[in-house]
Formats: sequence, C-alpha cells, structure tokens
Amino acid sequence: MSNGTSKKTDFSRRSALKGIAATTLAATALPRFVQAQSASPIKIGFQKHATGIGAAYGRWYDATTQAAVKRINDDGGINGRPVEIVIEDDGTDPKRGAEVLEKFANQHKVDVAFGTLFSHVVIGSAPRAGELKLPYFVVSEGHHVASGMLNRYTLQPGITDVKSQVQSMAPFVAANLGKKVTMIYPDFAFGHDHRDFFSKAIEAQGGQVVAQIAIPPSETSFTRYFPSIPRETDVVYHVMVGPAVLTFVKELGEFFGPSRPEIFGFIDSLEAVDITSPGLEFLEGTYFWEGMPRHAQAENSVFDTAYRAAVGVDERGASLSDSKDVSTYAHMFGCWETLNVIKAGMESADYKGPDDRAKLIEAVEAMSEMPHSMDHPQGPKLFNGKTHQVFGQQYISKVDGGTLKVEHTASIEDGMYEDEVDYTAQSF
Amino acid sequence: MRCELKCLSWLALTFTVLAPSLASAHPAEQALILLLPTELYTLGGTIAVVASIFLISFTSHDSLQRIYRGYIFATWPAAQKAPLITSILATFAFFLLIIVGINGPNDPQSNLLPQVIWTGWWVGLFVIQGLFADLWRWLNPWSGLAAVLLADRPAVLRYPNCLGAWPALGLFVVFQMFLLADIAPSDPDRLATIALLYWLFTFAGMVLFGPVIWTRNVECFSVLFALIGSLRPVQTSKAMRLGLPGWNSLSKAPLPTAQSMICLTVLVSGSFDGLHETFWWLGQIGINPLAFPGRSAVVWPSIIGLIAANIAVTLVFGACIWAGISLARRFGTLGRVSLVQAFNTYAIAILPIALGYHFAHYFVSFLVQIQYLASTLGDPLARGWNLFGLGNLRVTTGFLNSTTTVKPILLINVGVVVCSHIISIAMAHWLSGRFSAARRDLILIQFFLSILMVCYTIFGLWLLSTPRGV
Repeated sequence: MSNGTSKKTDFSRRSALKGIAATTLAATALPRFVQAQSASPIKIGFQKHATGIGAAYGRWYDATTQAAVKRINDDGGINGRPVEIVIEDDGTDPKRGAEVLEKFANQHKVDVAFGTLFSHVVIGSAPRAGELKLPYFVVSEGHHVASGMLNRYTLQPGITDVKSQVQSMAPFVAANLGKKVTMIYPDFAFGHDHRDFFSKAIEAQGGQVVAQIAIPPSETSFTRYFPSIPRETDVVYHVMVGPAVLTFVKELGEFFGPSRPEIFGFIDSLEAVDITSPGLEFLEGTYFWEGMPRHAQAENSVFDTAYRAAVGVDERGASLSDSKDVSTYAHMFGCWETLNVIKAGMESADYKGPDDRAKLIEAVEAMSEMPHSMDHPQGPKLFNGKTHQVFGQQYISKVDGGTLKVEHTASIEDGMYEDEVDYTAQSF
Repeated sequence: MRCELKCLSWLALTFTVLAPSLASAHPAEQALILLLPTELYTLGGTIAVVASIFLISFTSHDSLQRIYRGYIFATWPAAQKAPLITSILATFAFFLLIIVGINGPNDPQSNLLPQVIWTGWWVGLFVIQGLFADLWRWLNPWSGLAAVLLADRPAVLRYPNCLGAWPALGLFVVFQMFLLADIAPSDPDRLATIALLYWLFTFAGMVLFGPVIWTRNVECFSVLFALIGSLRPVQTSKAMRLGLPGWNSLSKAPLPTAQSMICLTVLVSGSFDGLHETFWWLGQIGINPLAFPGRSAVVWPSIIGLIAANIAVTLVFGACIWAGISLARRFGTLGRVSLVQAFNTYAIAILPIALGYHFAHYFVSFLVQIQYLASTLGDPLARGWNLFGLGNLRVTTGFLNSTTTVKPILLINVGVVVCSHIISIAMAHWLSGRFSAARRDLILIQFFLSILMVCYTIFGLWLLSTPRGV
C-alpha cells in the first residue's frame, strides 16, 4: 500500500514492479486493454516525496495520483493504452530528485515524469529533465516555472503558482477586510516573496502595508513581536510556517484577546492539520487562502463531491477511514488535474512513444481554456503555453464554527500577470 | 517561491518515513507538543533521576547485590537446534527480501525490504532484543547456515586477536553514517545491494576466520544485539532466570575496550540522530530549519557531527570517571584504579539509556511505519493480494493530530527516558562496588558520572520536545 487513504490498487501495485514484461502486466492487471487493443502501457514516472520533509504531502499526492490513474484507466486509458505509474522516492532532496529522473528515463523507460511538489526538488531536477529530454510535469506551485528559470521540458499545468495566488488575494482583502495591512512572515525567501508580491498587489488596490514583521525562522515564541503591530492595522496577513505555527496562533489570540483586527493567512500553514486542533480556537472568524476548499461547501460542485469520493476523503478533507487524518486538500488536486492534462495532451498529439515527446509538449503548450469538469474539479483554468503555467480560481475561506466556508472566489483574471518567459521560443 | 512555499509548509511536511527518516515526527504532532508544558515534564523527569541517585547512593551495596541477580523461574533450557532451523529459514527470508528489494516496487513505502529492515529489524527487533526475547538468536541470517556448512570445518585464516571487536565498532559507525547521512537509505535497490554485500562479506568472514570468531568481533549487529540483549530481565541458558533489567549485563563488566566503545557509540549515535534534526543543530550548520534543503546538502555535516559527538561524549564520559576516581582517592579510601579498567566497567551501564533513547527516538514513527509494514505484508509481492486481510489496511497518521493521543505518546517517551537513566544509575552503583565497599568511595567515584547522567537526562527530555526541522 502506498498511502494512507486508499488501498493501492492491484493495477498500481503491479505497475510498480520492475523486471516484468509490460505485456504480462497488462495481461494480468488490465485484461480489458489486452483483449481490446494489445496495448503496452503508457508509463508515467511519479517522483514521490515518500521520505524526507515532504512525506506528509507525498502520501496524499500518491493517493490522488492512484485515484486519477484509476479513473483514466477505467475510462479506457490514454489513446487506448493503460496508464502505469512508476513510483520512485526522491527523499524530498534535489540531488536525489535528479537521480530519480535519470532512473525514469534510462531504467524504467517512462514516457513522462510527474508529480514533484517541493520547489527545491523541482529546481534541482528540471535541468536533468531538459538534458534527458523528458517531459517533466510538476505540481509544486513554485513561481520558478513561470519565472523562466527552468526549461521547455518542465511544465506546471495542474496547479497555479504562488505569485498568482498571493496577487489574487489583494482585491478581496482591500475591499472587505481593510486597507491597512500588517504582514507577519518568516524572515527568509518564502516570507520575502509573500511580502514583495502582496505589498505590490495591495498597493494596486489602494491599500498599504503599514508594518512588515519578519520573524527569524528558528523562533518558537512570538509574543514579543506582537507589540510591533501598529494600532491602525485593519488586517494581519500571516504566513507563518513550521512546527511553531500553533504556538504562533495561540499567542496571537492571547495577545489580542476579544478585540482583534481581521486576520488573513495561507492554509499552507495548516495543511494536513485539523482546524479544530487545540490552540486553534483563535482562528475562528479569520480568513484563509485555499487552493481548493478543504471542507465541502453547502453548494458543493458535483465534481468536487466525486473527486472526494475517488480520492477517499470525507466532506472535511480527512481520510474516509480516519476523520483525524487530514489530507493536503488545498494542493493535491494538482496531481489529479495534471494527469488529466497529460492525457489530453497525449491524445491531442496522438502520442505513440518517447519519439513523440516534443509533440506532447507542443500539444500542451497549445492548450488554453480548461473548463470546470471532472478533469478539473478545483475549477476552470487557463493555461499559458508560453510560460508553461496554468492560472485558475483561488478561494478565500472564513473559519466559521470550525469549518472553512468559502467567502470569496478570486477570478482567474485576478491572478494573471505579465509573461516573464516564452518557453516556446526555446528549441527542443 | 513556494519552494519556498513548499519547503515550508511545515505543518504539513515532516513525518518521515523509514528509519533514516523514521525519527522525524508528524508536523502536527510537533506543533501540539510545543503547546504542552514540556518544561514541567523535563523538570519532573530530572527530579526523578536526581532523587534516584540519592536513593540508590544510600542503598547498601549488599541490598543492591541481592536485588541484582537472576532468579530461576522456569527450568527450561535454551533451545539449541530450533534457533538454527529458524535461522536457516531467516536466511531464505533474507534472500527473498533481497529479491523483493530489487524487483519489487520502487516506492520504499510499498517495498517489503526497507519496511522489514528499518521498521521491523532496526527499530522493532532492537527493542524486543533489549526487553523481551533473544530474537536475534532465532533470526540471525548466518548462524544456521554456518552451523550446517562450517560446523566441523577449521578456519582458513587465523583472526588477529589484537583486533578484538574494533572491526565491529568500525562497521557499526559506518552503518550509522549510512543511516544518518546517505541520501536514499530507504531506496529498495540501494538497500538490497548494501544488505546483500554485507551478508556476503559476513559469510565470507565466517568461512575464512570461523563463525564464532567473526560473530564476536566483526559482525557488528551480533555484537550489538548480544550487548543489548544482556539487558533483558528474562535470560535463558540452562534455565530461565528473571531479574531487574540489566542484571545479566553486570557480569559482562569490565568489557573489552572495543565493546565499551560500542556501548557508547550506540547511545551517542542514537542521540545525535535526534540532535541533528533539531532547530538547534540546523542553526549550527547554517541551515534554515524551515527550509531543509534535503539530506544531500548535509552529508558531511552529518558525518562529521556524528564522529565529533562520539569523540566528545567518550571524552566527557572518560573525564567524569577519571575525576570520580581522583575524588574518591583524595577524599575517600579508594585504592589504585586504572582509568581504562573503570571505563570498561562502567560502559555497560550506558546500555539502558541507549535502549531508552532508541525507543523514544523511533516510537512515533514506528507507530506509523508498522502500519505500512503490515499492509505491505498483506501484499508482499505487489500482486494485489490481501493476505491475512492486511492488504486493505489503511495507514493513518490521524492519531498524531490530536492532543488526546499525542500527550500520552510523549509521556510514554518521557517515562522511558527517565526509567532508562534510573536503571543505568543503579547499574553504575552496583558496578562501583567492584572498586570499593565503602559508601563514601561509592558516592565520590560516581559523583561526576551522576552529574553527567542528570545532564544527559535533561538533554534527552529536551530532545523529545524541541522543534525539529528534518
């Protein structure tokens, strides 16, 4: 079993086996394909954070991947061929990530690689993907794809990037929560990116960042920083991360007491964490960005409902077998959607094998609108073939009675920005 | 940015998986621990250890002698042939695992080899060996085969006695380096290759130098498990005897120096494994604890840190013993005691702490990983089987998301660490009787060692609650 939420299917288990002829695999696992088409499987290398600091994400990315592949295969596969996921653990390590891509290309002979989440692994692996001429579909949210620092073989068509996410929050914050914002962020690149992207975006909305409070990354107690929050603050924008996040929230609550400014944060801080955990009571009434709403809404889309069932999570985003086991719901949809983009791209390019990899990339680059559907349960998307980055809706949810209720859906346009690269101008 | 972002989404991050990473806790668990009054736990645990030092110091040595012995409670002798048969079966199982490692799933969470090696053997067997039963005697993948093939066969070469068990120490340190610093110690291919090479190396050594000699001096896990196994309350030879934990270890003192060093290395390596994940250590090596760059970025700091920690603690341990001897000679009636003799006498008393730290370090991850192991056992060849109904087992980490379960888990770890220190203190006091019968001497000779024990208790309890970045 590869994850905690769904039993690895017979097919997916088998798919991971090495040294067994693909036809044998298909004959035993997918008789339907064999009988109908004598088709060899399309192999997709899944660069999984099975170990290392990304393992909590890796577990759920795996669950989502298995569910997406099952759906694709149940619907007839890709171009009539079954899809086989080949998993390798990258240890959430960039050097290992590059090694894994080499194994995919040279040992497993996969058609494409997919799934990487942590940006340092993406950045460490992408150059090797380019050298190997292996299409590399990442699910990391990093701005590094659209910023132009990678290459033509690296694409991010299933999840929006953080620049877009941060930018699209500003209109709602300025219009509904207040124009004077104090930002509290960890004092390193991640926090600095939030600071820079959001400061610019809120100013464009007529707002102002009245204080920037940078917290040293090693800090585990925060009370002494809170007096620096100006009295005029309408909104506290926090992006604290790390094991001390609950402490941060608790101390913030104790500092403000019953009268507090509005609070806005990114769910990344609390991804895979039960929102009703002790110490998080203070979050009641505060707002969060969510990539995909963790808690099913009153008027939930049929796509989200079906997606939850397929992946094996309940209406609160937790495992169906353990309501305490909260998923990485705001991000893992990216695996589902990316696999569907790969399928659409391969079908559009009439993909036959590795010789058609360039055609596949061109087919994906040619994509634009992706309607809200079972292929894209998070919402409609717009793919930018030049920057290899997809854009989509963002969700702002308010904690109401321990439930994240969507208050606002930021439009695709809210997250758009000027192209910073044209990968299509690069040769293969 | 969310390289950034991702690297950081800490609360959702860590919770590593296999032993090399086993120690890392689930992020929510760490966050919940930080909300608990851990300073009080540390204070309480330290007071308990200090109190035990006083209590034991004023316990008469005769009483301790009476307490620390094994009482026969069953007349069953240790089985002789059955362990050889199971050992041969274990050899077959080992090679099956190697085949699964090479030909099975690439995902270490789905491959039986890393699951069995790291979760079943390194974590599980280690603890069982020290607490409950001599499993290694039954599951040693060489002993049965060696008994059949090499029993009446003279050794080809003569083992240089001057080497003693130093090769075992060297191999164990290399193993610890692999565990802590290798970038993919759970990779099934890699692990299968290394395990197979080690098996071949060991068996070749047995053929060349004789299985007994090789097992006592070079095969580091046999040496280790023999030492750890001596801690078990129940010991079986001609009969089954029951005593306080460690009663059988005392008869081994003084150990050969190489074995003494192994005792210390087990403790220090386990401690450093915990330390090297902390915010504090990451700060020392210039790593942002919220954006751990991966094991490949810290290979050398981990190796150097491991070696430095071993050297440092060995020197401090030796210095405390030397200072204690000096104190007892100056202010007591202690006669001449060599430092090496005292060092080798007290070293065995370190083992309970090593076992306690091993347990506490891996407990949380074991609770998760054992689920993966069970589910993989339900489908060992990745054929979609559902053996024993385990194939449908759904792994969960939900119990790490609630204070209701996180708090008792932490308290169990605190209890284990504190108890292990108390057992060590009692053993050290018993062993001091080898040097003098005078109570004053016993107290003085252990004075600095006791301070070291208290400091190590505080360190161990701090390790359980301090934030980790790996």
